[in-house]
Order: sequence, then structure tokens, then C-alpha cells
Amino acid sequence: MAANKNLQYTLRYFDRIGVAEGSKLLLSAANVEWTEEHPEWPLEKPNQPFGRMPVLIEKHSNDRDFVICESGNIERYLARAYGFIPSDIRQAALQEQLRDQASDMFAAFISQLVAKSEEDRKENFAKFDGLLDKLVEVQTKQINANGNIGHMFGDRLSYADIVTYAFYKIIVVGMVKRQANIVNIVKPKLTPQLIKLITTVEANPLLASYTARGDSLAAIVTKPTSARL
Amino acid sequence: MLSGSDTVYVLRYFDLIGRAEGCRLLLTAANASWTEEHPEWPAEKANQPFERLPVLVERSNGDEWILCESLTIERYLARVFGFMPTDLKQAALQEQMVDQQADLAPAFMAQLMATDDMKSKQIDEFNTLLDRIVKEHGRILSRNSSKQHLFGDQLSYADISLYAFYKVYIVYLKIYQSNIDEIVKPKLTPEIINLILSIEKEPLLAPHLSKCDSMAAVLTSKAL
Repeated sequence: MAANKNLQYTLRYFDRIGVAEGSKLLLSAANVEWTEEHPEWPLEKPNQPFGRMPVLIEKHSNDRDFVICESGNIERYLARAYGFIPSDIRQAALQEQLRDQASDMFAAFISQLVAKSEEDRKENFAKFDGLLDKLVEVQTKQINANGNIGHMFGDRLSYADIVTYAFYKIIVVGMVKRQANIVNIVKPKLTPQLIKLITTVEANPLLASYTARGDSLAAIVTKPTSARL
Repeated sequence: MLSGSDTVYVLRYFDLIGRAEGCRLLLTAANASWTEEHPEWPAEKANQPFERLPVLVERSNGDEWILCESLTIERYLARVFGFMPTDLKQAALQEQMVDQQADLAPAFMAQLMATDDMKSKQIDEFNTLLDRIVKEHGRILSRNSSKQHLFGDQLSYADISLYAFYKVYIVYLKIYQSNIDEIVKPKLTPEIINLILSIEKEPLLAPHLSKCDSMAAVLTSKAL
């Protein structure tokens, strides 16, 4: 679909690295004009279409603005509009699958984070840990199948690259205040293939404006782990 | 329709409504050649690409192609078989509704599993989210000229997903929480009930729904 680069976007979310991260990456990579709004919460809750965020507003001067919600939906819309999801239906599905799998892992992470009893926390952590291992396995397999060139598919930045990067950023950078040990849990599991993908994504010129914001995931995953004394 | 006539599908899932009903209805509406497999569980867990179900296997010309994740499978089938609009904005509006519906599942589990101190809060959150979903269904329907469909005048992905959603929350989840239907049913407007019943009567869905209990009796019965 021919993208209209004259469109302007507003992305409403909390001022944090969370489920809107994929959308921020996509808006940056699309090279469109966009701004971020951090509505006061919960004050602005009733003013959102569904009382939740993120919300994407695509501004239309003549008509009503186009407004959509649901983080995965926003991502898929932007990715299709700006050419980061292939038009081939099967290839698109394989990329969407990776996002849903990463999202499953994140949901499992949240389950162990919010567990009340020690027993539940242990059980939920085991599920998260197992799912993370499986995710790393399927992601690494796909990267290898694509020649281990820092991309999931093809040789250009794709939706799959972006969402893979995004979910590791959410956990390793976004969530570290809520669970300090998460870096030491996730980092050792990252294969060289995933580390290469992460650094390749972050170094992509299309993401220069995003990367300039700071909070480098690549720096964290490539930092040597200090030797135990 | 973008699928060849010699393409066959296998849907692997448990022998339950669960998360697969949307997939079943899409394969049915597509008039695709498909069968269902119920892998022995957890014996077959390690044999699945992501150790989870559902899994879709597409076989054509001797090739086998596999896809996981229930909503990715649904969106794929909807696109292949023409139930998803090709217009990006229209597609996003249908996918938005489906994703919102999916948000209810963790809220349902949270209130089901909540300890006494959290129970009432989790039930409130579940009800708030459910109310919002039902309200959104009503809003979409009110903006459509046909009252037998959510968008346009033909069976769409959104229609199929809505039907599967109410089937889950009025019929299926009773095995986990026997009063779930008594919570959900009173929230339905006559317009939404008519929509559900219209979708149930869609000829394209008959091969599957003729094997299932009708929602008509459940939806139109008076509470005792």
C-alpha cells in the first residue's frame, strides 16, 4: 500500500517502556511525523475510546481522525501501512506469529511478577522460564534459517525484527525497576543470533531517531557479564 | 479465495471449544477441506512448534506449512478466504474488536483464581471489561445498516469472532464457572442477541454449527 507520508500520528501511552514500544519503533522507522502523549492517569481514562492505552490517532484534516487501540492491532496497522509486513499472506502470518509468541512470553512474565503467594510465584516463574527458553529456540531457529544476518526474514528491517527487539526491551529495560534480577535471568539465555539481531535492529539508520532517545538494549545484551570472584 | 482446491487443513487442538472455535468457524465458512486432530496431551506437547495448541497445518502440492497462535491463525484464515477486508483501516477495526475480546480471558481467569481478599476487585475488573466489550459490539452494530452483521452485509471475520466469543462466555466457560452465563446473558441487548442468532443461521456456518447445540435456546430462555 502506498504510504501517505504526510499523515501525522499521536501515540498515547504511559511514559514508560511497555507494550507501546513496538508501535514507537514502527512510527520511527516509517519516518512519519508523530508525537507521544502521556495522558494523566487515571484522570484521562474515561477520555480514551476503551479506557485503556495505547491509543493511536492518525490525523485527518478533512475527515474524522482515524483512531485505533490494542497494541498488537496498532503495530500491525502501522507495519502494513508502511511496508514492514509483507503483502504475501503466509509471510505476514509468520511474522505475526513471532509477535504473538513473544507476547505470550511477556504475559507469563507478568504472571510471575504479580503472583501473590510464594508457591504461585515459583509455579508461574517456572512457566515463564520454560516459555522463554522455547521462544529463544524458535526465534534462533528462524534467524538461522535466514542465514543469521541480523534479520528474521529477508535482509531489511521487518515487523518481525522490530517486535522481537521490542519485547526483549520491555523485559530487560522496561521491567527492571519492578524485577531487578530479570536481566540476569534473560541475558544468559540470549543466543549470539538474538544478540546480533538486537544490535542490527538498533543500528538501523531507519531507527536513528528512536535510538537517540537512549536506553540502549544492545548495550545491555553485549556488555560482558562481570566474572564472579 | 487464495487457497488452491487441493489444499487441506488440519487444526490441532483439544476436544473443546476453548480458543479454537474462531478457527473452526472460519475453516467451515471457507468451505475448506479440513479435519481436526486432538493430540494426546501432554504427550504430544514437545511435538508442537511452540509446545502449545492450536496449531494449523496446511498441506498442498505435497508441501506442509505450519502456523501457531490462535489469533494469528484466525487472521491468516480470514485473509486467505476473504473474510478480512483488504482495506487496512477496515481490517484494523475488525482486529481491534477481536483483540479487545481476547483481553477478557486473563480478566476471567484472574477473577476465577483470585484469593478472597482480591476476589471482589477482580470481579469488578472483569465486569467493567465485559461491559465495555458488549457496549462496543452495540456501537459497531448501531453504525451498520444491516443488523445481521457487524460490518457490511456479508459474513465477516468480526461476525465469526463475535459468535465464538459469546459461545465461549455463555456456553464453554460454564465448565470452569457454572454461573458465567447468568453474569453475561443479562448484559446482552436484544440487538446483540438477534445478531448472534443471525450469525448462527448463516448457511456458510451450517456444516459446523449443525453439530453443536444452538445458542438460541440459551439466549432466549427466561431466567428462572
